[in-house]
Amino acid sequence: MYGWIIALVVVAALGTAGGVGWSRLLKEHKEARSLPLNAVDFGKLNDGTYHGAYEGGMYKWRANECQVTVSSGKVTGIQLVGSKDPGGKNTQHEALYDRVIQAQSLQVDTISGATLTSKAYLQAVENALVQAQHD
Amino acid sequence: MIMNIQLENRLIAHTTHCAMGTVMTHKAFGSYAEDSLAAVCGEVARIEGLLSRFLSGSEISRINGSAGIKSEKVSLETYDVLSKAVEFSRSFPGCFDVTIEPLVTLWSIGKESFAQPDESSIKQVLPLVNYRDLILDPWESTAGLRNVGQSVDLGGIGKGFAGDRIREVFKKFGISSAYSNLGGNVVTVGAKPDGSPWQIGIQHPRQENSVIGSVSVVNQTVVTSGDYQRYFTDGQGKRHHHILDPTTGHPAESGLISVSIVAEKSLAADPLSTILFVAGMEKGLTFLRSFPQTEAILVDSDLKVYVTQGLRTRFQVDKGIAVTILN
Repeated sequence: MYGWIIALVVVAALGTAGGVGWSRLLKEHKEARSLPLNAVDFGKLNDGTYHGAYEGGMYKWRANECQVTVSSGKVTGIQLVGSKDPGGKNTQHEALYDRVIQAQSLQVDTISGATLTSKAYLQAVENALVQAQHD
Repeated sequence: MIMNIQLENRLIAHTTHCAMGTVMTHKAFGSYAEDSLAAVCGEVARIEGLLSRFLSGSEISRINGSAGIKSEKVSLETYDVLSKAVEFSRSFPGCFDVTIEPLVTLWSIGKESFAQPDESSIKQVLPLVNYRDLILDPWESTAGLRNVGQSVDLGGIGKGFAGDRIREVFKKFGISSAYSNLGGNVVTVGAKPDGSPWQIGIQHPRQENSVIGSVSVVNQTVVTSGDYQRYFTDGQGKRHHHILDPTTGHPAESGLISVSIVAEKSLAADPLSTILFVAGMEKGLTFLRSFPQTEAILVDSDLKVYVTQGLRTRFQVDKGIAVTILN
């Protein structure tokens, strides 16, 4: 009889812990997903080496620090200099950093030599949407 | 349609429309931004009405229609553009010709059938391409073509003229920050509203959605001629583009696949981009020396990028592109 009760309590406790843990994980994931990188105008970067830290979300699980190198106005290197992530020993972040370096497109106001009609129409659509954001 | 918004107490207006056989985008900042764009669109339509060989009522169409018969009275503006076009044809023979239309038409038929015109038709048409046969009379303000079948095409200069005119319209409305993109010909007025230069991307000649780099400009124009627009590929997979060499009668093959000119005047930059494209790097750079404050970005068939000295600090290359600064 006691055995059953103990077993039930253990299951309930695990369930609660799991539930709480899952909800925390969800929150953390949601936060991580929505982390914006759009506050940066990649067209206006001064050369130098910059230190950056993130306190790691609600539960500080993702706290990390990095060093970013900007030369000739472009991000040329990112190094991880500290991480609280238990999985920090893996190299996932390197692939991510490479993506940031690749993804920084030149910020241009308009393009010379691009006369493709369809593309220009898309540009117009985009221009409209940009305005929509401000309204 | 002109869209108008107010952002941080600054008025911005922009519009995209079709004109001169291409798509144009204009953007202006300032109190009369919206009004200025309406005037800009009107000005473009007016110029097209004068210079387009595709509009039967235009002054150019009148000249072409009377070829071999008589000269036509033209407006001062049309006269100026024609004389400028003749000047470029004379200064760079074999690289630019204002009377290239019969050849352009021949190749545009080829474009429809995906085959290049046969050599005999090219040989037949070539003698018609001769700028010396465009007779301009400054006193009477008339223009005429000597022979039947001859025809003027301002494709390599008309948008350049329009670009400079647009700039004047913006100025008239007190706009100190604006740009216009006339199907790839970019003109800028002043700098961006925050005082920083405009960043004009240079289209990648082989990748549709990317640029080879960008150039910082203030109150200047950036005009690009490339082999990647208006081309067709024949049965053998050979690319036949729209920039024709008036000497050979074939699309120019100079080793360059894209030429961008950065200059103050769009009227000069427009033909210069074509001239350098046809002339090739070495000859083209020599030509450029007679145009002060005029810089170039050249791309060769190996996709190597060359920029002239004056753009050393103003040209920012995109990732993975090799660039050489020319002396």
